[in-house]
Amino acid sequence: MSTKADAPPAIDVRNLTISYGPRPALLDVSFTVAPGLLVGVIGPNGSGKSTLIKGIVGFIEPDFGEVRIFGRTMDEVRGEVAYVPQRGEVDWDYPITVRQVAMMGRYGYIPWWKNPQPRDHEMVGQALEMVRIADLQHRQIGQLSGGQQQRVFMARALAQGARILLMDEPFAGVDAATERAILDVLEAAKTRGRTLVVVHHDLVTAAEYFDRLVLLNQRMFAYGTPEQVLVPSLLSEVYEGSIRSFEMLAAAEQPGEGRES
Amino acid sequence: MTDFLRQALLAPLGETFFIKSLVGGMMTAVVCGVVGCLVILRKMSFLGDALSHAMLAGVAGGYLFMKLAFGLEAHAPAMLVGSVLAAVLTVGLIGFVSNISRIKEDTAIGIIYTGVFAAGVVLVSAFSEYVHIDLMHFIMGDVLGVADADLWVAAIAGSIVLSVIILFFRFFHITSFDPILAAAIGIPVGLVGYALTVSVSLVVVSAVSMVGVILVVGLLITPAATAYLLSDRLEKMMLLSALFGVSSVVGGLYLCVWFNTSGGGAIMLFCTIQFLVVLFVAPRYGILAGWFRRRRQVPQQVMEDVLGFVLRQEGAVTPEKVTAAVTGERSVILRALRQMLSAELLSSQDHGLGLTEKGRREALKLLRAHRLWEAYLHRTGVAPERVHEIAHQLEHLNDPDSVHLMDHLLGHPLEDPHGSRIPAEVSHEPGKKLRASELRPEERAAVLEVTEKGRDCGLQAGDVVICGPRRNEGRTWVLHRDKEEIHLEHRQADAVWVAILGGNG
Repeated sequence: MSTKADAPPAIDVRNLTISYGPRPALLDVSFTVAPGLLVGVIGPNGSGKSTLIKGIVGFIEPDFGEVRIFGRTMDEVRGEVAYVPQRGEVDWDYPITVRQVAMMGRYGYIPWWKNPQPRDHEMVGQALEMVRIADLQHRQIGQLSGGQQQRVFMARALAQGARILLMDEPFAGVDAATERAILDVLEAAKTRGRTLVVVHHDLVTAAEYFDRLVLLNQRMFAYGTPEQVLVPSLLSEVYEGSIRSFEMLAAAEQPGEGRES
Repeated sequence: MTDFLRQALLAPLGETFFIKSLVGGMMTAVVCGVVGCLVILRKMSFLGDALSHAMLAGVAGGYLFMKLAFGLEAHAPAMLVGSVLAAVLTVGLIGFVSNISRIKEDTAIGIIYTGVFAAGVVLVSAFSEYVHIDLMHFIMGDVLGVADADLWVAAIAGSIVLSVIILFFRFFHITSFDPILAAAIGIPVGLVGYALTVSVSLVVVSAVSMVGVILVVGLLITPAATAYLLSDRLEKMMLLSALFGVSSVVGGLYLCVWFNTSGGGAIMLFCTIQFLVVLFVAPRYGILAGWFRRRRQVPQQVMEDVLGFVLRQEGAVTPEKVTAAVTGERSVILRALRQMLSAELLSSQDHGLGLTEKGRREALKLLRAHRLWEAYLHRTGVAPERVHEIAHQLEHLNDPDSVHLMDHLLGHPLEDPHGSRIPAEVSHEPGKKLRASELRPEERAAVLEVTEKGRDCGLQAGDVVICGPRRNEGRTWVLHRDKEEIHLEHRQADAVWVAILGGNG
């Protein structure tokens, strides 16, 4: 991670240990992410990927270790980190409209005794335009298609104006068309200098989508470029015995294959 | 007849006890309704039940403490404090048991609240010479015997809870909907949760004296659930829920004096019937609405066939021509025409039906799907004479995202195999933002942004380009920047975002 010496890393995870019981979900995880990178978090089911995201966002208190955002603690940079939940974690019947969800991204900036200001409305409007759901803004969120629902939460993250975006499995259970639409938003966010950390379950596309990969299974096995991380010896250690994914991976590694425009 | 009705409605209002019950009940119902919305959205209904039972121990404890320490009989504030303490203790114990053991939360709730309730029962019966609490009253409530102290408790508890919820509405809203984001932007999620728990206990305490332990949870969640069926926004849901609570109390109390029944029972029965009625007739989420929706539904396919047919005709068409040309039952097609007229896809013109602007857009979208499918079929090697027929079936697979993807995979073709122009995805009016790969020849556009995969193409944000005809069998995009000609591969053209400019040829 060769960044300018004076610029602090966007995300600095130091010796992070988080547990829900006697067995830690994350054990001594450390890595630093330079600003403007698109980072994928991969690992088998139950390897602590979502926990890592919830730890960075400050939802779960770590047992040990800390997370620094642009060199400062989470409490000092409230609002700099946006979060896009996994689709399954959202109550889609909740009585809330698309616009209200996006407005929640602004809640961190509105004091409790005030109403949203014109500036907040403006930023929400722009965010909805950017992900192309402005015309659906007064719908209840359950009335949208899967891809549109995913975009509502992207709009919320954009409205928040955060420099760091954390996304939990945005590609899980979406069709190819939506996957491409999400990738567009990711790339656009990156072009604007945002730093993104994305939980991902598909090894085959991991190399193609991300600049850096975190390979996780309770502890961190590797952090680096896809070429450094997606090596059979490491993968076999992490994904004990799931041979099939390597065969698919081998196919994807053929030059020119699996690389979409 | 009207005299009888007036008598039936007005006579009870002359009675002080009735007025007191009405006022107390309505206050309680409003607060219950508002808090109940948060309770059901957080899936805490069972917890409301638990808290109402647990408070017996608190009431007994508070009673006993004041009696033994100060010799005061039935000291209301002490009982109130005792109830809230008991509620908080119950919630704490539930959390403790479910966190440290393999016992799941719902089981933990069941264990702890019955335990705390049992402790209250034992306390009341063991000290029956000191504590004069009528267990039956506690369990069933006595809405017609509301004492002044009960009214005060309801008023104070209600105003505290309502103020907290209105002032911190956004906090409750976001922690209920997405606690993780709430934590990320610095809202104390745990504290808000405790505030809600305390609010629920306060509400429950003030409601128990009227409707009793068993029915209080109904007053908390039934009006909220009724409102849930009618609203798409939390503010509206809370308002409706409060209204439904009030109407249950009013309706229930009249039932109670007319038929001389239990007050709490009548209120909850009224409330439940109200819920069932709404469940049946709610405009969007109701049973009848769903049934009508399914019945009225015209197959999408028929509508699309009609649109396609009208688009291909010159000028207006008569309904007879449509029913003759489109496959399907005559009645279904006529229903489709009626619905399309009311949806403003079609309009009545001099000589029949014609497409509106909206209808035209829809029809072009279909035509686009149709011709893209033709291009696809041609590429898979389907015999040319069969292409149209199969595409006519496949054009109904036209979800926008999927058509977009197919267009991309086919390399954004401009014409179908018969040489007909494929309509663009949306009308390319000035200001429209799209990828350079979607530009049509002759269009003028400003480059907005070049993402990473297109960095090597030589274009930059701010450049103004005019699209030329494609080369190399449509695989090379040609853009003119002043006199310069820039060639892009598909990959690069996809990575360049542009906005259409007006004033082109």
